[in-house]
Amino acid sequence: MLDVAIKNLLLKRRNGFRTVLKDISFSIPVNNIFTIVGKNGSGKSTLIKSLTDLLDKRFYKIDGQILFNSQDILLLKKNELMELRQKKIKYVFQDAINSFDHLKKFGYYFNKLTKNLEETEELLNFFFLPDPGILFKLYPYEVSGGMAQRISLVLVLLTHPQIIILDEPTSGIDSPIASLVLLKLKEFASSANNSVLLVTQDLLFAKRISNKIAFLFDGNLTEFFSVPDFFDNSNNEKLNLFLNSYTEIS
Amino acid sequence: MGEILKLENISYLVRSGKKTIQILDSINFNLEENNILGISGESGSGKTTLAKIIAGVLPKTEGEIIFSGKNTLNKKKRPIQILFQNNGEILNPLREIDKIVEEAIIISSSEYNPRSKMEEIFNSINFPGHLWKRKGYELSGGEQQRAALARILAANPELLILDEPFSAQDPESQLNLLNLFLSINKKFNITMICIAHNLRILQKLCSKIIILYDGEIIEEGKTEEIFNSPKHPYTKFLLKAENYDLSYEELKYERKQS
Repeated sequence: MLDVAIKNLLLKRRNGFRTVLKDISFSIPVNNIFTIVGKNGSGKSTLIKSLTDLLDKRFYKIDGQILFNSQDILLLKKNELMELRQKKIKYVFQDAINSFDHLKKFGYYFNKLTKNLEETEELLNFFFLPDPGILFKLYPYEVSGGMAQRISLVLVLLTHPQIIILDEPTSGIDSPIASLVLLKLKEFASSANNSVLLVTQDLLFAKRISNKIAFLFDGNLTEFFSVPDFFDNSNNEKLNLFLNSYTEIS
Repeated sequence: MGEILKLENISYLVRSGKKTIQILDSINFNLEENNILGISGESGSGKTTLAKIIAGVLPKTEGEIIFSGKNTLNKKKRPIQILFQNNGEILNPLREIDKIVEEAIIISSSEYNPRSKMEEIFNSINFPGHLWKRKGYELSGGEQQRAALARILAANPELLILDEPFSAQDPESQLNLLNLFLSINKKFNITMICIAHNLRILQKLCSKIIILYDGEIIEEGKTEEIFNSPKHPYTKFLLKAENYDLSYEELKYERKQS
């Protein structure tokens, strides 16, 4: 269970502060997949980074409370925060390839995480990735962006976190692979006390995967709507414009 | 309309330790002037590599590229330009956008009045006046992409390659970009190649589509042919999976077929 109540998130500028996010409040219940959509530059990535206090304190100031299992993440000591990020709340970033050290082979990351080769093999197999015998010997620059993203997701799944947060999981990958990601995330979210939060521009993906969807506009987040309600949101003008462009493009 | 680009048996191999890996295998196609060609296919099938080889950024291992009837590129004029996915990187973050674009116009042509050419470019890509004096780092992702496009148009390219221009763009920006590319194609008579995973957008933009799989062209045809009667199992699979509603068994089965 994640309870978010951000009063203000400010970005330092040359002369004072600019408000990036305002009065954001939502809870993600266990066994749910919540999705945030919104225009480029609306603050989606900033929002998800703020949830485990990942934003650079020299530039960002956050005022609020982020409760994970009733504990305020923003008040955690450094070692507690590190542990939370290592084990409980994991991210898959858009630019997955650059989350890896380009001078370390993939084997380094897998061996550090788990001795359970069977589970690793199973997951790699699921995502149509090469077997450990081949993959572990590759360097990050030898795989495509889409492959790096899947590898990053496999590594996250191997740590058995409670929450997975994904930034644009379908960007740069083909539709069969995106379908695999969708199936796996649904399976993850339906087991134990897990849940998933994702931000995406891919409204069809959002429609297929989410329990609830919210729209972020100019730093303000709407409530999380059920999927049918989200796509039938006639009284929110901004959201309507957004949905209309989507209909026209697809 | 004449032929602007012809690829004959283009292959690209890389060495990894003792092994040689084939990234592209005997790619052949040709492109008519002023057309827009779409390239789609599996993640990691070699789409970006192909784009870089056509533009002369990467050297081909084998084969021949004929551009405007010649097999060498004019290094000074750089007639083939790529709009990369991470276009922030082609802009100097600390220089004002109008300076970057004006300079590119002066370098690439003997334009009598670079300032008015610049204004024409900015207007045609809807890059509003209040952004002209901004620096690269002060622009949002979408604005950076437009600025990068202005910089490219300033170089007067004959062929423009777009590498995943729509990915991670919101629907409104996607729609604007789509219309923008169509109008640039007409207004500046630029031939284009667009790489994208999203087949629906390619359908709206391109007259011809190529599907790559594991470094090979597995299907090539007019856009409506590809959509109405795809021939190769992988193309069928791609189109089927577009709705994100296949089960794992279906995904696995379809992949085996292709």
